[in-house]
Amino acid sequence: MRIEVAARTLGRLVLSWLAVTAAAFVLLRLMPGDPIAIFLDQLSVQASPETVAAYRTQWGLDGSLLGQFLRWLLGFLTLDWGVSFETGRAVSEDFAARLPYSAAIGFGGMALAVLGGYGLGFLAALRPHGWADVGSRALVVAGQALPAFAVGLVLLWVLGVQLRWINVFGGGPVERVVLPMLLVAVFSIGSMARITRAGFMDVKASPYFRTALAKGRSTTGALWHHGRASGALALIAALAPELAWIVGGTAVAEIVFAVPGVSERVVQAVNNRDYAILQPYIALVALWVAVVLQAGRALRHALDPRLA
Amino acid sequence: MRQPSLILIGMIVVGIGSWILTAGLNDPHSIDLANRLAKPSVGAPLGTDHLGRDLATRVVLGIVPSLTAIAMVLVGGIGIGVTAGGVIALGPPALRGAVAWLAETVLAVPTLVTALVLSAIFGAGVWTVAMALIVTSWAPYALTIAALFDRIRGETYWRASEALGTTLPAALWRHMLPNAWPAIGALAGADAGRAVILVASLGFIGLSADTGRPEWGAMIYEYRVFLFTEPRLVLAPVIACALVTTLLHLLFDRQGDRRR
Repeated sequence: MRIEVAARTLGRLVLSWLAVTAAAFVLLRLMPGDPIAIFLDQLSVQASPETVAAYRTQWGLDGSLLGQFLRWLLGFLTLDWGVSFETGRAVSEDFAARLPYSAAIGFGGMALAVLGGYGLGFLAALRPHGWADVGSRALVVAGQALPAFAVGLVLLWVLGVQLRWINVFGGGPVERVVLPMLLVAVFSIGSMARITRAGFMDVKASPYFRTALAKGRSTTGALWHHGRASGALALIAALAPELAWIVGGTAVAEIVFAVPGVSERVVQAVNNRDYAILQPYIALVALWVAVVLQAGRALRHALDPRLA
Repeated sequence: MRQPSLILIGMIVVGIGSWILTAGLNDPHSIDLANRLAKPSVGAPLGTDHLGRDLATRVVLGIVPSLTAIAMVLVGGIGIGVTAGGVIALGPPALRGAVAWLAETVLAVPTLVTALVLSAIFGAGVWTVAMALIVTSWAPYALTIAALFDRIRGETYWRASEALGTTLPAALWRHMLPNAWPAIGALAGADAGRAVILVASLGFIGLSADTGRPEWGAMIYEYRVFLFTEPRLVLAPVIACALVTTLLHLLFDRQGDRRR
């Protein structure tokens, strides 16, 4: 039974990843402009047909579309991600050097948001209309109304220039990642707090909570004792989509603070039409999103078997 | 909440309108190097930028790309979403499952990443932004409409109208639409706000269509070096952006309330 569920989850994961990757592959191939022509144009050399054919083979652009995709898929799975048209370096090496930055920003930011959001949500549920309640709601509204890069610039100004707490551009890897992490956290913490609050509020309305109060427990103690699981469950349900979306959030943060992460490279690639970077990037993002969503589903199911 | 925000919206519209009528819009491209970084004055209410261009004019005209994107997203996203919702609820069983699966998959696609990929394929521009938003925004409408339809089909008034021989289109118009408006309105408000932010974000990254035309994100990028010396250059487009998204939320939520 358990194995069957796991197999079905895995199958769904692989299937949706393949679908997205194949769609992106076809879309990128349909694109106007021959990558080889663009590449040779940049070098401004007159290439012989033999050279063009050689490049076509080297970049896997010959043969049928299906054949190209299968060959690419095999290459991707064996970590042979091709060569950047622009720099001539292996894409996998480029990504390997940059992934730690992006991962640190994404995971660090989410961890901050989860911890802060859980605490804020608890306080907001404890005292409706108190500062935590009003503040978390304000954060949600601000998160929808303000562009992340603008908030990032303000953070840069306040923490990096006025207070001089952080050496933003000159510091070591850790120092460079702190502000982007904060930025990611600021944009997620509000919604995390609201969702946690809803979980705690459910408990607050329940009869057993009133019983606990009647037994002489303090509101804080009773809410923590009886509500922490409910709050955590609500937060976990919201975490999966949020983790999927974080890819976009880290992109903005990397660009504002000039962190040499994956997204920064991709934006560069978009500007220079370096398609060799884009295909593995889409495949990676799709893999991340699919894994996160299925993992969230499995985790929710494990915590609350009543859920379908 | 209702009255004050309505008054706020009215005041802002009247204020901008009367300012445009009296001061007139200057040429957003006219460079005046003798008048660089001028402080705010009567002729230029927000002063000028590092090339002597009128900041207020550029901020006001910066709304054009945002409004274009909003219009395209609302038409495209709601159009496709409602159609897909109808298919999920009423279509042939084979198609139903496929569309529902597609909608649920699309829910997880990050908008900014889509916009980046589409920019690489079709080139940067408002059209690309709108396309990215449409691709990622139709799904909530579809799923909401489908769920709503499932609920309404069980209601007595729906079965009564069926028994009375009302045609399906008429019944949809009479019973479905009034119920769908609040949900569509709230989603549309969020989408319109996201459109403004995405246009600005891509402009900031350097992927707006033409860098000459005033656009808030591109302006913030261009002026970011003056953040410390002349903060108004950066703050003006940021505030404009925040103001418009907040107004959009209020406006569309209100639409939903009234129809409810």
